[in-house]
Amino acid sequence: MDKVYLGIDVGSVSTNVVAIDENNRVLSKQYIRTNGQPLESVKTGIKKLKNDIDGKYKVAGVGTTGSGRQLVGIMIGADVIKNEITAHATATINYVPSANTIFEIGGQDSKIIFLDKGLITDFAMNTVCAAGTGSFLDHQAERLGIPIQQFGDYALRAQRKVRIAGRCTVFAESDMISKQQFGFSKEEIINGLCEALVRNYINNLGRGKKIRPPYVFQGGVAANAGIRAAFEKELGEQVTVPEYFDVMGALGSAILSKEYVEHTGHTTKFRGFEAADIEFTPSSFECSGCSNLCEVIKVEINGETAAMWGDKCAKWTNSVKSI
Amino acid sequence: MRVGIPRGLLYQYYYPFWKTFFEELKVEIIVSSPTTKEIVNKGIEFSVPEICVPMKVYTGHVEQIIDKVDYVFIPRMVSISDKEYFCPKFMGLPDMIKYTVPGALNKILSPKIKSDSDSIANPKFYGELKSRLGISTWDLHRALKKADKAWNNFRALSKKGYILTDALDIFEGKKVPSKEPTFKDGEVTIGILGYVYDIYDPFISMDITDKLKELNVNVLTFEMLEDQAIKDSIKFMHKKLFWTFSNKLLGAGYHFYQNPKVDGIIQVTAFNCGPDSMIGKMLELESNHFEKPFMTVRIDEHTGESHLQTRVEAFIDMIRRKKMAGGVSRESNLSPYGLNTSI
Repeated sequence: MDKVYLGIDVGSVSTNVVAIDENNRVLSKQYIRTNGQPLESVKTGIKKLKNDIDGKYKVAGVGTTGSGRQLVGIMIGADVIKNEITAHATATINYVPSANTIFEIGGQDSKIIFLDKGLITDFAMNTVCAAGTGSFLDHQAERLGIPIQQFGDYALRAQRKVRIAGRCTVFAESDMISKQQFGFSKEEIINGLCEALVRNYINNLGRGKKIRPPYVFQGGVAANAGIRAAFEKELGEQVTVPEYFDVMGALGSAILSKEYVEHTGHTTKFRGFEAADIEFTPSSFECSGCSNLCEVIKVEINGETAAMWGDKCAKWTNSVKSI
Repeated sequence: MRVGIPRGLLYQYYYPFWKTFFEELKVEIIVSSPTTKEIVNKGIEFSVPEICVPMKVYTGHVEQIIDKVDYVFIPRMVSISDKEYFCPKFMGLPDMIKYTVPGALNKILSPKIKSDSDSIANPKFYGELKSRLGISTWDLHRALKKADKAWNNFRALSKKGYILTDALDIFEGKKVPSKEPTFKDGEVTIGILGYVYDIYDPFISMDITDKLKELNVNVLTFEMLEDQAIKDSIKFMHKKLFWTFSNKLLGAGYHFYQNPKVDGIIQVTAFNCGPDSMIGKMLELESNHFEKPFMTVRIDEHTGESHLQTRVEAFIDMIRRKKMAGGVSRESNLSPYGLNTSI
């Protein structure tokens, strides 16, 4: 049976599950809205993916990434648990080898990654502000009564230019409302918003750095043609959106798991597709051992403690030796 | 008589001096506990709102011990280098504490330190203590001399390459110095830039030095460098910065850029630190010139560690992969793959 590698990206807005073969070809990809329930989303994703590949392939490695990478890594038995920056860049380097700059905009964070000859040379992530990320666009789409899927098309239909303040979502929203009151159409407002977000992104993350083409735009927000057009306008260059733009993090972690397994010769820790049915209970408590009152997260599998973390002193973390 | 020493701000740099000084004077000292969430919360409650997090944390430390002591020792740090000064918040700190922490008004000992070097042993700074603690000129001189010696021994440990927390433990006799501080050849070496009260307060920096050690990274900091080396590396500037420790960090930054052993620099800065906005920008711009990666990690009151973890991990991954591609790797321990250790 041919080998297959799984990658899971657990983000704030979407949970993505992919399977790739030994040549990094995508065999299955699942994009699922997290809706605040990362574990359920992963289970759904795994089950759907199983239908695509089970019986035909053997899982040889699993990688997880995203803000929920640790929890899900334990649940599924991941071989590699990696940060989002490394995962995203790994995927891009494989699928768009010529790329020099990656724009990645996700649900709650945005990053810019600089590459040179297939290596990351620098990166930046949004710091204290989430202006311009997917959640904000979602919110605005809802407020304007437009399905988020059509957001980009609206922007492309704009007739006139209107400038929206993009530095801060609070100001952007009040600016949008006043521009609506001046009589600008929804299309124009949305286009103005796309341009403002791109301006803000470049000023915030690209500040003082040399941004070199070819550009790749990925992450959930890359589905938005309006934002892509705004990037191209701002930079005066073509911006590539890769075929699997919305699951690049998952693809990267799958590739990393493949590299890891090949590099070390380890057999995978994958718990099998049945992991999706394992009863898996996360809980948290406030440790009263000292005045730090750490919030400790505890994960139980079939009533047995599988992992704990969140404690500063590692008292609880170390109490669970291996899984 | 009991004097309290808050475990914040320059505690990490001058504690061996202060401790020896008061012990020589037969004054009992009480040091506040390592920073906890409760201290941070109290600090936020009792400090002025628009101030940086290390100042808030310090305020919390004062609050913790104020009722247990006769005095709290809060020197007014004005200068420790010619024509350079401390951030104005340090100069105003004793006054700020006096009027914000309940019960502090008449309990603050604040000798004014205006030295031309890192040594703070000049007796003329400490006149105030003679009357308030009832000590003779002779005793003051003797205690300062001893304190200065102890402090120099402690500084020598840093310069040997011990991380400050280890140097303090060795000073207090909690740890025996090993032959050499461990520096692993062939591994990634990171220069960390940040004030001692940010980097070495485990609560503020979320233990960034430990996180790096877990990733098998060698750590260098400014206090490990010779003062002269720091000064030399910013000699080219037409004008120094006003702020002493900021000059030290800037000098250390340039030194790290020029040191072939150092693979990258991480600046740890507290949100809204004025001087850091200056040195951070300068070093960020130099990063291209020296072709070494530079990253700023901004910290505040929040306790979410994941943003720090993600950035630090990605930064180290980046450097490791580059090293591997450059062919300097030793197969076994330079693998960029594998589980991270953060669970």
